[in-house]
Amino acid sequence: MEKYEQLLNMLMDFNKSVRFAAVSDAGGQLLWNSQRNGVSSIVPMEKTKASMSRSRGEWDAYTSAAEYIGNGMYSITSYTEIKRITIPLSDGKMLFISVNNKPMKNAKNTSYGRLVEMGEILSIVEFVESNFRN
Amino acid sequence: MSRYEKLLHMLMDYDTTIMFTAISDTSGNILWNTIRDDSKVQVPLPEIKKTLVRESSDWIQRCKIEDSDDLGRALYHIASFEKIKQVTIPLDAFHLLMVHVDNIPLKKTKTKSYGRYVEMGKIMSIVDFVNTFQE
Repeated sequence: MEKYEQLLNMLMDFNKSVRFAAVSDAGGQLLWNSQRNGVSSIVPMEKTKASMSRSRGEWDAYTSAAEYIGNGMYSITSYTEIKRITIPLSDGKMLFISVNNKPMKNAKNTSYGRLVEMGEILSIVEFVESNFRN
Repeated sequence: MSRYEKLLHMLMDYDTTIMFTAISDTSGNILWNTIRDDSKVQVPLPEIKKTLVRESSDWIQRCKIEDSDDLGRALYHIASFEKIKQVTIPLDAFHLLMVHVDNIPLKKTKTKSYGRYVEMGKIMSIVDFVNTFQE
């Protein structure tokens, strides 16, 4: 199994709120994807592919400011229903994750969605990048 | 003082890790901005202007997605880098808020740190509060 297929499986196992995970190449083209069983797609696959391609372009654009802000680690776009996460991987590849963002029912104050454990997700990515071979 | 200038001051007062705030129009032109004098990371203004132009265009795309799909309302975007977190929030149909937050890990962390936590709930509640003000 490819290391990035392994990564997608590990992310799916990590947290049930992960609905969809995918890896694109340096041009933003989809290479592997994984969708949780029983979860219906909110967005058609063609639109998800277009979003991934655009996100890859955003990461490329950020590199011009790297000397001031450092290397890119991750991005989160938060909508009321889902959060979309992107993480640049080695060789220009990019990880794309869609996470359920519906507020918990017993939230006391106005909720702006759920907390995503980015530290844990980044440590899974780092583990796979350094311990698995293609 | 306009309500959006007040917003920038409230954000600066709220958290000392906020290093820079700006409000742009939909073309990415800066309308108001604040810079913390003693911040460790200084991003040159021309670089910020370039980013705002790009982010404004990205937000137009994100809002189109919001309209056409069932993702719900677009709330915010965070781009996390080694030195800063860049937060953008659409304020209304014509204005975009950008916030730079210090992301250099605190020295005392036991395990590997991927940067600092940004309290988006608090930032969003300040934005919502200011949006209730009348011009």
